[in-house]
Order: sequence, then structure tokens, then C-alpha cells
Amino acid sequence: MPKKVISFIRPYIKLMIIAWMLMLIELAVELTAPILMAKIIDEGVLVHEIDVVIEWGIWLLIITLIAFVAGITNSFFAAFVSQNFGFDIRNNMYSKIQNLSFHRLVLYPTANLITRLTNDVTQIQHTTFIIMRIALRAPLLVLLGTIMAFLVNWKIALVFIFTIPVIIFFLFYMMKLGIKNFRSVQKRLDQVNRIIRENLKAMRIIKAFYRKESEVTRFIAANHQLKIQTMKTMRMIELNTPILLFIMNVSIVVILWYGNVQLQIGGAGAGEVVAIVNYATRITGSLSNLSWIIMAFARAKASNDRMNEILMMEEEKSGPQSVKQPIKGKIQFKDVYFSYDENHNKDWILKSINFTVEPGQKVAIMGSTGSGKTSLFQLIPKLFEPNSGQLLIDGKNIKVYNSIHLRNQIGYVPQEPHLFSGTIKENIAWGKQDATMDEIVEAAKDAQIHSSILQFPKQYDTVIGQKGVNLSGGQKQRLTIARALVRKPKILLLDDSTSALDMQTERELILALNKCKCTILIITQKISTAKQLDFILLLDDGEVIAQGTHEQLLKNSKLYQKIYTSQLGKEVFK
Amino acid sequence: MARRHPRNINPEDLKLTKSKFKTVGRLWKELLSHRGLLFFVLFLVLLSTMLGILGPYLIGYAIDQFIYHQTLSGFVPLLTGLITVYFFYSFTSFLQNYSMIGIAQETVYSMRTRLFSHLQQLPVSFFDNRQHGEIMSRLTNDMDNVSSTLNSSVIQIFSSVLTLSGTIIFMVWLSPLLTMITLTIVPLLYIGMKWITKRTSKYFKEQQKHLGQLNGFIEETISSQKIIKSYSQEQFVLDEFFKKSNELKKAGFWAQSISGFIPKLMNMLNNLSFSLIVFLGGLLALNDSVTVGLIVTFTEYARQFTRPLHDLANQYNQLLSAVAGAERVYQILDEDKEEIDELKAERIEHLNGNVEFQNVSFSYGREENTIKNISFSVKTGQTVALVGPTGAGKSTIINLLMRLYEPHEGAIYIDGINIQKITRESLRSFYGFVLQEVFLFEDTIRENIRFGQLDASDEEVEAAAKKANAHSFIMKLPNGYDTKLTEDGAGISQGQKQLISIARAILRNPTILILDEATSNIDTVTEIQIQEALQCLMKNRTTFVIAHRLNTIQNADQILVIHDGEIIERGNHESLLKKNGIYSNMYKQKEGTNVV
Repeated sequence: MPKKVISFIRPYIKLMIIAWMLMLIELAVELTAPILMAKIIDEGVLVHEIDVVIEWGIWLLIITLIAFVAGITNSFFAAFVSQNFGFDIRNNMYSKIQNLSFHRLVLYPTANLITRLTNDVTQIQHTTFIIMRIALRAPLLVLLGTIMAFLVNWKIALVFIFTIPVIIFFLFYMMKLGIKNFRSVQKRLDQVNRIIRENLKAMRIIKAFYRKESEVTRFIAANHQLKIQTMKTMRMIELNTPILLFIMNVSIVVILWYGNVQLQIGGAGAGEVVAIVNYATRITGSLSNLSWIIMAFARAKASNDRMNEILMMEEEKSGPQSVKQPIKGKIQFKDVYFSYDENHNKDWILKSINFTVEPGQKVAIMGSTGSGKTSLFQLIPKLFEPNSGQLLIDGKNIKVYNSIHLRNQIGYVPQEPHLFSGTIKENIAWGKQDATMDEIVEAAKDAQIHSSILQFPKQYDTVIGQKGVNLSGGQKQRLTIARALVRKPKILLLDDSTSALDMQTERELILALNKCKCTILIITQKISTAKQLDFILLLDDGEVIAQGTHEQLLKNSKLYQKIYTSQLGKEVFK
Repeated sequence: MARRHPRNINPEDLKLTKSKFKTVGRLWKELLSHRGLLFFVLFLVLLSTMLGILGPYLIGYAIDQFIYHQTLSGFVPLLTGLITVYFFYSFTSFLQNYSMIGIAQETVYSMRTRLFSHLQQLPVSFFDNRQHGEIMSRLTNDMDNVSSTLNSSVIQIFSSVLTLSGTIIFMVWLSPLLTMITLTIVPLLYIGMKWITKRTSKYFKEQQKHLGQLNGFIEETISSQKIIKSYSQEQFVLDEFFKKSNELKKAGFWAQSISGFIPKLMNMLNNLSFSLIVFLGGLLALNDSVTVGLIVTFTEYARQFTRPLHDLANQYNQLLSAVAGAERVYQILDEDKEEIDELKAERIEHLNGNVEFQNVSFSYGREENTIKNISFSVKTGQTVALVGPTGAGKSTIINLLMRLYEPHEGAIYIDGINIQKITRESLRSFYGFVLQEVFLFEDTIRENIRFGQLDASDEEVEAAAKKANAHSFIMKLPNGYDTKLTEDGAGISQGQKQLISIARAILRNPTILILDEATSNIDTVTEIQIQEALQCLMKNRTTFVIAHRLNTIQNADQILVIHDGEIIERGNHESLLKKNGIYSNMYKQKEGTNVV
């Protein structure tokens, strides 16, 4: 059952209540202080009772200390709750992402998911902390302060009835405007940053074309927009505090005037007037906090919605009776249709695909970009499922297989050679966490990377940076192939993974692969690679337009002939 | 009320160094370019501070005179006076903020613009030696930080200092005794803050470290989801994530708890000073050494007095990290520009394209030369192929030709003119490029092609696209030439991007063409189109090719085989084959694999 963000707070409700109680103690102290002050003045100073002054004075000091202890303890509780709450959300969201089926996951850009896991969690953590410390405190202080003022002297306190609602209404209105304006500041800031990013990436070409002036002009225009909008927004926001202060200060003046009137007719004591003035100043302080609390809530709401979107998604499921048997590696496509768009099935990426690969056969898949090669590959480890038709593994429909079990018998090497930060050894063993050193070396040898690894000073323990920055493209490709081989897969899928290899290395790699007891599908652009394999599938616009051996295709396929002539005498020269 | 984000502050930024003071000085100088307005703001700050101090005094006076003693005359004028004081207080504080925001944003605007145009003039080596992410963060995060700090901090610092000193002076004048009582909290504040910051700085550092590790892990694993899924390694990465997440939680707990003490401490000291003033003031009032009104005034001053301390403490970290940001921005501004064109450099209107390298040597760093004593010449319309392994120096030759770098020895001539005597702008206007890595802007296809020749008409753009074999696929896109390209390409393949960049080069109509051809990721059909387009482009132009494929090389007028920065063989295809050297070796190796 998917859980929403808010439900993760449940285990911590008791602790939250304790934090709130502690906060209430603080608040109570702040609200009693003016009363004690009034007592000291009215019953002590004015009637010259030194005992009263001392007694209440000591009380004043004691409750101050109590408030401090309560505040410090609150800090621990609040931090504990908000950190654990954030921890739970973060873990749940991450495990949700790991368990989502791939075709749902690809709907979200990577940067988008990362923001949710990092910034949004921090945001919600921060807001939770605020909620337990000041978010309730400010409105409560306004409310209770007003009530206390009424208890002290309701006639004078009437002033609050007029001013406070006006201020609150005003604050909410300004906040709404403020949030809207901040959004447009952010938009313009994004625009400025985008131009910078673009320029950094394209610096060489901008220099080459000498486009300095036009780029600077473009930047200045965006920067100007940003300046104007920032000024407007900030100025508007700065209007809040002076207006709020003015209204509250005027009400203090009114309290003084009305207090004076009441004193003359004996309707109030001097200490009472002083106490109410004191409440008024405290309320003023809280009101100015109120506006940024609202702001924090608005931001938390946005984060909350974004995170819920992830948390509410359905996880990938394997049926209970899913098949977990070892496979031999026979692959059959029977009239398979596929589209990334689940609803409109018009834009077929793959149309009526039919072919059979026997266990141990090696197949080349060729075709132009967008012809559907990679999509076809992604169906085999069940990253996506066919919309219609059947994909059979060892004669059984792929749907009945347990995904994890099936994938464990497949070695898939995507086009982009993606490595993890860590050592070379860890990266190869990543395909099989319990691989022995012998297995790792064997995989590396088959992938034709062993001798290159031995040339590094630390050999298999060489650390490679994020995305393997200090390796060449060909080395990265071979490492990802080793990572697949160490799993001893029954089916090996290479998506154009040899493009950066020179002829010699590639030929040796294919020779080593040919010894493998597994079914191999290789996407390639090179005839020289394709003709070393058992047969070739030629895809065009989502359809298999020809299949057969190199010689057969040379005879029968026009497209293949065209490709062949274009590659004659122009192999990669390194 | 400013934007208070939970911003991640790098603990390294919080160190107080000498260069930080220098940076503050430079920032101050920037602000001084709005001198008049700035002094106006400072004047307003002074005014509002005085009014802020006057207000509570008048209230205390009012309480003494009209609440306790119930004097009858002068009450209404006093109240009117109070309202006037408060009105101007609010008015001046708004006006100072209004003006300061103007100054701050103008300053930030000018810094950003200078930074950007400076970036345009930096030599390529600057970008080659740094990670983009790092430069990017200076231009965005650091600049942003400076912006929001300038908005509020200048005023806050001035008004805090003024309020603090003004309040103390006024308090001493009113009652030295009560002032002493109020000031007793200062040492407590100092000790408390010291105790807290000593711990928080440690915990924050730890939190930052764990956050960095977790974020790195998230970024890495999320971007490789496909691999994780197809290798069923979900549980493995989950376990690792939980471990890292837990470490962050622990560090975060301590950092948040202890830093949460600060407002509580402030509150406590506020309450304490209030209690002390009321309690001890009450005792003093018994023998009439202070009045009740004075007590009320002092409770308000005590609040006014702790607030700036609070603000300063709050701002301190923010301020330091903004200064550190500004420091990094200035570092870029201080970088030397690409050498300015020599005084005698001239604009050239026409070149034929006879290129000659005479004994050119160059090195990127202090190590041995990347290219050594290179000499060759090319005639108008000829094609030169540069062949050799990665790192041999092929790209360096191109960089020198474009004047992205300058040779250390020797010289390069075009039509007999040393290229150092030609302004960079006019020199580069004769070049056209098709580079291995295509860069397209987030703009329409039309504008991306027009980038080659900014004043080209739409018809010229389309004509260039037709010659580049790009027209037909562009027309198939829903919005044709007006299709907006996004960061990840918007459904355009690598090969199609390359066609757009060829159209760009055709539109430019260059005298000298530079091709860095590597098409390993491009499918065969598109590649045929690219080859056709390139043939059309190369016609009648002097062409430099960094060659990976043999067919381009076979047709080249001149082949330079480069190894370790030197030309080790030269000639055309036939003559090199006859030589039976390295080139013919490479060629035969390939022949062996290509037997049908």
C-alpha cells in the first residue's frame, strides 16, 4: 500500500506532542511575565511593599529558567523527530525508485528525481523542525497574548480586535503576492543560469565563431530582466514590516490614550495598562515571524506534492507463481509490437517483429538510428513489455518469468558505458557481488581489458572517478562488457558497445565471445563485426526488413548493399 | 522576512582570512559606484535608528506622566508626536530598504555582466583546466549568495551597530544603574554562543560531508538505473543507501539540535534581562531612584538591544559564506584575458587560404612540448589529413591555427601573413568548423544554423540546410525549422545534430574548413548523408581533417602522420604506401580485416 509523506510522521507523534508541550511551557512563561510585572508594579512598587517585589521578582527569574530548560529540551526532541522523519521519507522514496518498473521511471528526468531525494527532503525536514518550535508558537502567542490582554483589562484590549485581523489579512495577501513574484524571479534566474551553462559548454565553438558580442547581448537582456523582477519583488516584500510595525505602534498609542481615559474614570490600574502595552510589543514580534512561516509552509507544500508523486506510484510486481527456472537462452519474437506510449498505440517503435535465436547463437542487429534496435533490446530483460505479440524465452512467454531471476541470467551492456565510482575490481564484480578474483580476471581477459588493467599502477585496485573520467571510451566499453561477462549470462546483449574499439581488439573480443556458451545479440554499425556472427537482423523504421548471413544479405538487401559500399575501405583508423 | 532557505554552507567558507577582508573592501568599492544613493541610505539608517530609540522613550515618558501621575495637559500633543515618530520610523525603514535593494541589484547586475563578458574573453586553457560544474557554481550559486546578502546585510549591519551603540548611550544617559543590569546578559551571551558555535561548526562539517557523500551516491545510482535494474542490483544499492542515509541522519541530529539552542539562548537572555530589569528596577523604584516609566522603557530597550546582537549572530555565517562566494567570483574576474590582439594586428577582408606552419612548437604546461618543430604548407583548396593516435597533437595543431593558443616558437602564416598580425575576430571569420562533439543551443533549429552567419536570411538558412542534407529530416519534425531544441536533443539523433552543424558551417561559407571527423556513434545511413554533405562543403576550400576514416584520407592532397608531437611521415596516400612505413602498416592492418 503506497504511503503518503504525511503518514511517515505517525511513529513520531508522541515525541512531537512532547516537543509541543515543551514549547507551550516556554510560551506560558512569556505570557505570564507581563502579569508578574503588573503585579510587581501595582502591588509592590506603588504601595511600597518590598516583600511583594522580592517574592514575585524571584518567581520571574525561576520561570525564566524553566522556559530555558524547556526550550533546550525541545531542541533535541524536534531535531530527533525531523531527522528521523526525513530519514524515513528519503529511504522509502529511494527504495520506491529502485522498485519501480523501468518504463515508469523513465518518465522522470534524472535531475528531477535527484532534487526530490535531496532538496525536497531537506526542505520538509526543515519545516518539521520549524513546526515543532516556532510555527505554532507565533500564532499561539498572538492568540493567547490577545486573550491575556482581555483578562487583564478587556476594555483596553478591545484595540486588538480591530488591528490584529487587519494585519493578518494584510500579511496573507502580501505573502500570496510574494510567492507569485518569487516564482517569476526564479524563472528569470533559471534563464540567466541556462545561458551561462550553455556558454560554458559551447565555449570552444563560440570562440571559434567569434560570437562573443551576440552572446553578451543575449546575456545582458536576460540579466536585465532578472534585475528588474528581483528589485520589484524584494521591494514589495520589504513593504511588509514597516506597515505592520506602524499599525502595531499606532495601536500602542491608542492603548495609552484609552488607558489614560480609563484611569481617570477608575476603569483600569496603571500596571494593567503597562502589561497590555507589553503584550502589544510581544505580539508585534510574533506577527513579523508569521510571514516567513507562511513562506516556509508554501515551500514545504510544493516539496510534499513532488515527493508524494513518487511515493504514490505502483511498484513493479512479479506474480506469485512466477517462473524461476534456469534458462537455456532461446529467444523468439512472435509478431511483437511495441510503443513507449501506453495509450495511443499509433507510433509503433517496433512493428510485427518475428525472429528466433537458438541457444548459443550469435546475432548482429543493424539499422539506422531510431530504427528500434535499443527498444528491441530493452524488451528482453523485461525493462519494457511488448504491447502485443509474444516474446518467448525457452518457449515460455516472458511475462511468466520472475523479473529478478530472469535478469540475473542476462548480461546487458547499454550503449552509454556507465561505470560507478570505485575500483576497477569493484566495477567488474558489480555484475556479481560474490565473484572471486579468478572470475573477475577471466571476465576481464575475455573482454580484452586485462592487459590494459595490468598497465595501471594499481592494476585491479585502480580507482576510477565518477563516470570513469580517467579511462578512454574504449576502455570504458570493455569494462562494462567485463561486468556483464562475470555474471556468466545465458543471454548477452551488447548495444553498440564496441564502437570505440580498434579493429584488432574488436576482432579478438568477438573471438572470445564466440567461445561463450551463451546467446549473444550485438547491435553494431560495422559490417566487419556483423559478418563474424551467425546471422544478421536488419531493422528499418521498427521492422525487420532482412535477416540472414552476410552473404545472403549482400545478395538480397539493397540497404545492406548500400551500407556495405559506404564502409568499403574506410574502417576506423586509430 | 528575506528569503531564508536552509542553505548548505560549506564550513571551509566560514574561516576568517585576510583575503576575506580584501574581498569586503572590493565589494564596498562596487557599492561606492552608487555613492550618492548609498550615503542617502546610511543617513536613513541613522534616522530610523534614532527614531527607533526615541519611540520607547516617549512611551515610558507617557506612562510616567499620564498613566501614573495622570497629568492632564500635553497628553494629546505627546500622542500625536508619538504617531509622527512611528510614521517616520516606518517610512525611513522602508525607504532605506527600497534604495538599498536598488543599489544591491544594480551592483549584482553589473558584476554578473562583467563576469559573463570576462568569461567570453578568457583563453580556452582556462576552461580546459577546470571542471564546468565548478565554474558554473561560481556563476550561479556564489553570485546568488552575494545578491541576497547585499540586499539585506548592509542595512542590517549598519542598523545593528547603530542601534546597539545608540541604545547603550541612551540607556546610560537615562540610568547608568539599569544599564548595568541590562548589560549583565552580554557576557552570558558571549559564553553561550561560544559554547554553541564550537560544537555546531564540528557537527556542520560532519553533516556536510555525509550530505555530499549521499548526494553523490544518489546522483550516480539514479543516473544508472537501467544498469541496476537489468543487473537486479536493487537490494545492493538499497543497503548502501540506507547506510549512508543513516550516517547523515546521525550527523544531522546533532547539528540541528545544537544549532537549535541559539534562538532558545536568545529567548532566555531576553526573558532574563526582562526579569532582572523588572525585579531589580522594582526594588530601586521603591526608594524612588527610578520611575516605573523608566522600567517600561528599559524592558523595551533590552529587547531592542538583544535583537541586533541576534541579527548579527544570525547574519555572521551567511555573511562569511557570501564573502567567500564573492571571493571566488573575483578570482575569475582576476584571470588574465585571452591575449589582446597585438597593436599592429589588422582586420583582414579577404584571404585565399594558403596556410603555412613554420617550425611551430608548443606546450600546454611546463612539460615537454606537445608539438615539436612542425612545418608544412597547404595551398588554397587543398585537403590536409592529420593522422595519428589520440594525444599525438592533432587537436593542438588545430587550436594553434584558430589562435585558441599561441605557438611558443615558430609562426603560422596565411597568404604569407603571420596570423598574430590578424585580429582574432577577422581571422576566425574565415574558418568553418564541424567538430566531433556537436553543440546546439536551446533554441530553434533555424537559429542554431544561423549561428554560423548571424545576418543570414531565412532563405539562406534553408538553402544551407538543403546542401547539408538536413532539410528533409527537419521538414519531418512537427514544427520544422522552428522546432525548439532542448538540452537532451528533442528527438534528434546524434547524426542529425551533426547535419545541423554542417549546415551551420555551409552557411558560414568559410575559406578554411576544419573537420574533426569521428562518427562512431552515428548510424550508417545518416553517415552516408553526412559524407555527401561534407564532400559538398569541402569543395574549393582549404580543409584540415583530423581523420579517423581511410576514405577521406585516400582523397587528401597531403597526409601528415603525427606521432608524439612530430610529423613522422608525410605525402599522399600512394606515396606513403610505397614508403612502407608506419602509414602503410596501419593501412595493411586494416586491409587484413576487410577481406570479403
